[in-house]
Amino acid sequence: MIEFGQFALCIAWMLSVGVVIGGAYVGSGARALPSRLESLRRGTLLIAATLGLALVALGYAFVTNDYTVQYVWQYSNRDMPWIYKITAIWGGMDGSMLLWCFLVALFAACVALRSLVYPRALVAWLFSFLSSSTLFFTSITLFLTNPFRYLKSPVAMPDGNGLNPLLQNEYMAIHPPMLYLGFTGLAVPYAFCMAALASGQMSNDWIRLTRRWTLIGWTFLTAGIVLGGHWAYLELGWGGFWAWDPVENASFLPWLTATAFLHSVMVQERKGMLKIWNVFLIVLTYALTVFGTFLTRSGIVQSVHAFASTDIGWTFLVYLSAIVLGALGLSIYRRAELKPDRAIESFFSREAVFLLNNLVLLSICFAVLWGVMFPVFSEAVTGVKQTVGIPFFNAVNVPLFLALILLMGVGPSIAWKRSSLPQLLRSFAIPFLLAFVVAVALVFAGIVEFYPVLAYAISFFGLMTILGEMNRGLAAQKSITNASTWSPSNVATLWRRQRIKYGAHVIHFGVLLMTVAITASMAHKIEREFTLGPGERFEIGRFSLELNEFHEERQANYDGIQAHVTLRALTDEKPLAVLAPELRFYRKNKETTTEVALRMGQREDVYLVLAGIDETGTKASMKIFINPLQVWLWYGAVIMVLGGVIVAIPAPRGARVRDSQTTKVAQSV
Amino acid sequence: MGKVFISLVIAFIVCGGALVYQATRGTSSLVLSPSEVLSKGASRDLKRIRVGGRVVDPITYQTEPQMVLSFRVKNPTGGEEVVPVVYKGLKPDMFAAGRDVLIDGDYMGGSIQAAKLQTQCPSKYEPVVPGAAPAEGGQPAQMNGAAQMIGQ
Repeated sequence: MIEFGQFALCIAWMLSVGVVIGGAYVGSGARALPSRLESLRRGTLLIAATLGLALVALGYAFVTNDYTVQYVWQYSNRDMPWIYKITAIWGGMDGSMLLWCFLVALFAACVALRSLVYPRALVAWLFSFLSSSTLFFTSITLFLTNPFRYLKSPVAMPDGNGLNPLLQNEYMAIHPPMLYLGFTGLAVPYAFCMAALASGQMSNDWIRLTRRWTLIGWTFLTAGIVLGGHWAYLELGWGGFWAWDPVENASFLPWLTATAFLHSVMVQERKGMLKIWNVFLIVLTYALTVFGTFLTRSGIVQSVHAFASTDIGWTFLVYLSAIVLGALGLSIYRRAELKPDRAIESFFSREAVFLLNNLVLLSICFAVLWGVMFPVFSEAVTGVKQTVGIPFFNAVNVPLFLALILLMGVGPSIAWKRSSLPQLLRSFAIPFLLAFVVAVALVFAGIVEFYPVLAYAISFFGLMTILGEMNRGLAAQKSITNASTWSPSNVATLWRRQRIKYGAHVIHFGVLLMTVAITASMAHKIEREFTLGPGERFEIGRFSLELNEFHEERQANYDGIQAHVTLRALTDEKPLAVLAPELRFYRKNKETTTEVALRMGQREDVYLVLAGIDETGTKASMKIFINPLQVWLWYGAVIMVLGGVIVAIPAPRGARVRDSQTTKVAQSV
Repeated sequence: MGKVFISLVIAFIVCGGALVYQATRGTSSLVLSPSEVLSKGASRDLKRIRVGGRVVDPITYQTEPQMVLSFRVKNPTGGEEVVPVVYKGLKPDMFAAGRDVLIDGDYMGGSIQAAKLQTQCPSKYEPVVPGAAPAEGGQPAQMNGAAQMIGQ
């Protein structure tokens, strides 16, 4: 079976070479005959199919405990539940690269399936650039990190080495694939952009077509990043979800630039501005996904979270250079077509606010990149290696993020081209005054720290502008629907007619919830360490904890010991929950890990970690975190992803016709 | 390019640059190996340092009255010089002799007073292949399940 995987990988590589060269040949002259495009399309579909088979072959080796394969031996053992044998496919670098190849090819195949409706002159180059991405990652997998290698061992290995205990977690099944889907999805807009530049099809078609693909990649990336944060929160036992580690940052960088692109693309669609800027953003986004892969696999920066350093880093640098130089060369070649149709006229216009939003996002991107690469820069310039940590990232990013949230409130409610003072007052005076009232109320309530008060007030301002904007839309529409302004039917009609606009509002609402939750959980967190014997109590915040007993368990791959702790409110003897923080000993890996006990609540999370048990086996030392409003962070993230899905999915054909008719009627009224 | 575009871009470069510069100056730490800590810290205390090292025995972890983890680190690339580390806090998962860690803190009085301790993350975990030399410092001897965890 493993030879079959290797064979499939070879076929995928050869097909990729063929589509890259074939696409460039067909696209570079007037050769885009339907039969040639169909060959390219089939080739692209076949690449995905063969890489899918290679992935299945590797999965089969894991499930059947084939320890003749080095990669399977390294990351699996017989005691592991079957689900972790599957997730172990991407537990190490070799398999994760194969998954990456497959997902890039899968996106290329999805584009291929939709390609019949795309401009013909664009399509050949599109296949070529999409497959160039597949080709790069397939080349790395085939020649440098091949998971289909036999184990060099003089004797047959009866059992494998096993997967790292922290990766034996259900999040392993979903977090890496989501993140990789985000990264690889962002290869699609890059390919569209490069195809447009190469083919000269520089109308706004590529922008219109790209927007949905960018949104799909962005939504997956958002989900992947948040799932990683949630996993870290549940598993790592430090009570937080984001540590500004280089590897976390590597996933965040393309998210920032993709978010910027999703906004600036509207300016190009509506006003024909920021054309070169959009090319820059989309190429930067893709380059940052490749850079992130380079960062995690090259060992260039110290991270607790990266793959072991390898010698494949140089290949990424070569590819990155090709991406940047290629885009630069083509942009210079097409500079005439990239000139804006008009200039931004006023600071008080939606296009100026979107540009500001882009600049803030790029500033955050630059600051994060600076923080990640600072050890490398400082050593190169001064000869002394220095680094920055969480205090740096917080000092720079908190004010920038608050500026971003403020702009998020302003952007959707300000007019295109130029806003008059009465228009500005009508849109923002009430939200501003209400936000000011909220800030004053918070200060009187005892919250006096500057940034938390500002964050809550700005979030409230954002919420009010969304509601105000919706109110104006509903009021304008009720003359058509004859329903009252906030009646469910009027709201439903407005949302159906302007699905993309209100989908974006859903995303913004999710961001506001996350902002409030992050602020509360960081600014008002309580953490304590304590030791309890049986029957003893510890009080914290509005809770008390009582140790009941210890409970031992034996599972297939680990032994565990839990401390059963009763959680009560101080005002009530009735138990709220029995928390069971746990220490686990993974027999195969000889590793001890902690399992957090968590009681999620709308007001706060109670997060309990078992630090140790004394020599007598009767006293437990624990650490507790009370994280206010934490759960709203995850709700906000779900809402963001939901908003992304609402905007990304195409409207049903019937609805589009109906809505366009309704819009015409509305315009004629 | 319009005047609005140019002025916004310039304003952001200036303000963003100032913000980053200020934050870097105020928060950066010196990155040192354990042997560099010993040589540079021989005559003076070292404030705000980050040390990447490999944990070596003995490790002591006291949980009462306060969680205190004491251990030593050496250069991951080899060498015998070791630096004592004291970390007041919860022992991170996967912490063991032979494991690489990142320590943020100050070097004072002959030991690193760690404010933050991180063990290498799972995705960095690269198991050895048969026949390869085991990591220096080795892993703790295998014990039986719950017995291994009592006394931590």
